[in-house]
Amino acid sequence: MNLDNVFKKTRQISGRKNYIHLGRRKPEVPEGLLRKCNKCGSAIIAEDVKNGYYICPECGGYFRVDAYRRIDMIADEGSFVEWDEELETKNPLQYKGYEEKIEMLQKRTGLKEAVVTGEAKIDGNPTAVAVCDGRFMMASMGEVVGEKITRAVERATKKRLPVIIFACSGGARMQEGIVSLMQMAKTSAALKRHSDAGLLYISVLTDPTTGGVTASFAMLGDIILAEPKALIGFAGPRVIEQTIGQKLPKGFQRSEFLLEHGFIDEIVERPKMKEELGKILRLHREGCDFKSQEENEQKGKNSSSDEQKMCGGNESSKPAWDRVLTSRKKDRPVGSDYIRLLFEDFTEFHGDRLFGDDPAIIGGIAIFKDRPVTVIAQEKGSNTRENIYRNFAMPSPEGYRKALRLMKQAEKFKRPVICLVDTPGAFCGLEAEERGQGEAIARNLYELSNLETPILSIVIGEGGSGGALALAVSDEVWMLENSIYSILSPEGFASILWKDSTKAKEAASVMKLTAKDLKALGIIERILEEPENYNVQTMEPVTEALAGNIDQFLATYAKLSVTELTTHRYERFRKM
Amino acid sequence: MIKKILIANRGEIAVRIIRACREMGIETVAVYSEADKEALHTKLADEAVCIGPAPSKDSYLSMDRIISATIVTGADAIHPGFGFLSENSKFAKLCEDCGIIFIGPDSDVIARLGNKQEARNTMINAGVPVIPGSTEAIYDAKVGAKIAEEIGYPVIVKAALGGGGKGMRVANAPEEFENAFQTAQKETQMAFGDDTMYIEHFVEEPRHIEFQILADKYGNVVHLGERDCSIQRNHQKMIEESPSIALSDELREKMGQKAVMAAKAAGYENAGTIEFLLEKNGNFYFMEMNTRIQVEHPVTEWVTGIDLIKEQIKIADGRKLGFEQKDIHLNGHAIECRINAENPQKGFMPSPGTIKDMYLPGGKGIRIDSAIYSGYTIPPYYDSMVAKLIVWAKNRKEAIRKMQSALGEIIIEGIDTNVDYQYEILHHPDYLEGNIDIGFIENM
Repeated sequence: MNLDNVFKKTRQISGRKNYIHLGRRKPEVPEGLLRKCNKCGSAIIAEDVKNGYYICPECGGYFRVDAYRRIDMIADEGSFVEWDEELETKNPLQYKGYEEKIEMLQKRTGLKEAVVTGEAKIDGNPTAVAVCDGRFMMASMGEVVGEKITRAVERATKKRLPVIIFACSGGARMQEGIVSLMQMAKTSAALKRHSDAGLLYISVLTDPTTGGVTASFAMLGDIILAEPKALIGFAGPRVIEQTIGQKLPKGFQRSEFLLEHGFIDEIVERPKMKEELGKILRLHREGCDFKSQEENEQKGKNSSSDEQKMCGGNESSKPAWDRVLTSRKKDRPVGSDYIRLLFEDFTEFHGDRLFGDDPAIIGGIAIFKDRPVTVIAQEKGSNTRENIYRNFAMPSPEGYRKALRLMKQAEKFKRPVICLVDTPGAFCGLEAEERGQGEAIARNLYELSNLETPILSIVIGEGGSGGALALAVSDEVWMLENSIYSILSPEGFASILWKDSTKAKEAASVMKLTAKDLKALGIIERILEEPENYNVQTMEPVTEALAGNIDQFLATYAKLSVTELTTHRYERFRKM
Repeated sequence: MIKKILIANRGEIAVRIIRACREMGIETVAVYSEADKEALHTKLADEAVCIGPAPSKDSYLSMDRIISATIVTGADAIHPGFGFLSENSKFAKLCEDCGIIFIGPDSDVIARLGNKQEARNTMINAGVPVIPGSTEAIYDAKVGAKIAEEIGYPVIVKAALGGGGKGMRVANAPEEFENAFQTAQKETQMAFGDDTMYIEHFVEEPRHIEFQILADKYGNVVHLGERDCSIQRNHQKMIEESPSIALSDELREKMGQKAVMAAKAAGYENAGTIEFLLEKNGNFYFMEMNTRIQVEHPVTEWVTGIDLIKEQIKIADGRKLGFEQKDIHLNGHAIECRINAENPQKGFMPSPGTIKDMYLPGGKGIRIDSAIYSGYTIPPYYDSMVAKLIVWAKNRKEAIRKMQSALGEIIIEGIDTNVDYQYEILHHPDYLEGNIDIGFIENM
């Protein structure tokens, strides 16, 4: 049945022609009630946006946030004290109309310039903050922006405060020409001094961070976080497209792209930003590094007390080949299992800052018995999908470079490093060679040899050759009872020396790759017993023993001076 | 004076509202989704505006599009019907901010009554009986178990923001509690993005008795008697009647008074429903207040002679109620059966599709509120209710006879319906006796 235009209209049935107007106000949408999301085009209630971290409730897209709102979102209430708000913009090039533009923007935004700096507390942790405000000439960096950031960093250095900068910028400010360019150098130099003082700088990249800001302070964080889907790059996408005459792929220069390419540590959603910053600040609080802690504890307990019973192993007669097979068992616990059970507050950081982020190695900071530590693990994954994603824990050069970056960070912040070794070997492939697998491993051996913080390596499964050694130039190396550590896989050994890889079993027995053999050779310091049928369910006795021993290790090595520590490490390998 | 109303709804209730407006000489604007281009409400209204694609969230739940449609068409009021945005306080607030009359209570009243815990506190303060239960929000099963012990088993775990039976679980004994709590909380988190729970005494074998109230802007509140909605499947009502044979005149007066007190305590305006659970011993407890017109409003209309939709519009337009409590008498007996496009044999699976042919009964004491017609295609995106069959007779026995007869006459071809299932209920000895509680369908 077609019902188009068949029903009589109300006016017809009521016989009324026109209504008398009673002067009631016609409905209208008041100014500011709704706003439009420029990502999905939806009209949304402004109040909802304001109460929802300026995130579109329809599409989850992020609205840009002005500086003071940003500070409200992350700082403890009433804790923010502004610095240098009076700094005046000059016109170094005498550029026509610049003063007028500045004046107009000052009126419109209530800001003096495009960055707000000051001191605040985040979850109780004091910090210096600088927040760019995109409403003011797209937060481009002129002299005042550079000066305010520099002063904030200098003041933080003097007061021994961490620095957090929320970047958002179109880049250098063209109207200030070469003076603007110099701000890049000035801010970077101030950050270098801040870093040399052993202080923490967290850079948070928001949409958009481009040009001279990306090429200076934004990319210099000890830790670089980013909001989801933020545009981050040096050259703007339009400029690149025009230059190369090609359309850029979707997602190019977005946070996710940068994470994948190793340039940022983590993407943090806006509602979780405060918590995340608070956690990182807490983990870096002055005087909470392991040395200060040990000193404070005044050595209540006797650290060299009875060796934890885990020495030797109860089935010493087991053939080496059986141990090889056990070390490779599918249900054997992997790196992330140990991280979960041994540490609290693990915060993973990504990327080598050069090329990519290698999923075969996970690393970050965590708390071990109240001490911040850096944890690095070769990760196999617990099912086939994860195995593939993690490349079966065969690291690429970017994995070793990430590990080194995090270890250098640990050195700066006086955190001990704990490495969990479990790899069949470094990844053997075309790309790995192109990016310098050999160089990456060598660099780690070289740098780790005198890293000025204790390093402990624990072989939890396979310790495959140079791929394992790159995480094991340590003060002590421990092995789980059924883990192995060798120059090569028994298959490879048999194939090279006897031209027959099926003789792997015999190879295993002569290679001295079991924990017991290696202890006898003086290659490792400690063996940890495993229960029968070792898997995630039966891990507890092992992690308990590990925890006790790690505790002891940290206490012992905290007592050494830096020279004693590095000498000890040097001698350890010198005698081999 | 309201001259043009936009109906922010679809289906039979949109048609029902359009009809009331036509009778009042008020022009109507329908809004419709791309799936509802051929729907009756779209065709019957004086104007119709397409507000988006089929999924509700992009059309009938899209506040900004509905507001835009209202402004563009110059309507002065929005009738939200039931479901969709009808109990959304944010939408009501938006209407208020834009100078659009929202036909319903104030946004802050909707917000307060929509939060179960707050509604409950309001009722306790007003002296309206509530089911013994937790006084504070509970997030943890262990804390909950302690409170359940104090309240006394059986207990029911509910979501603070819940509705429609989502996020609810009964625990008959302490050992069942933890599992019940966690399942309900998980469901709540999924459905509402919130894990605030509360616990109350589970009233065994109660009847669902609700009171219709009307309140004008001037503090006048009357109740229009009760509806017995005990025939429910999965917390969805199937058959409603008025009056309830479980209520004596004294009990009706007592409950009616409490309903009026509840509405007054909430600062209520417009049509609303106070839902009670009635225990066998005559104890009754406030459950919740629905701040909108109900699906089952026609049974009340028939026994009271009052057109509830017209009253809603008049109240919204600022007019005083034209009657007092003493003028309200329940005359005869009315029953409503909801006709759904669903297949009872296949677990009540919805059965959208094209109606090839149909024949609906008529005659004295028979009313059909529906939005279907021959050749109409029921889209799969929305509620499966396609019609309401309402009958009236002098007493319950005659009304049941009439309903049996009318159900036996309905023909809807091309889709599956629950007509035969309803027909069975209408012949069930317990139903005939009026021996019903909210577990009726489950135990049938």
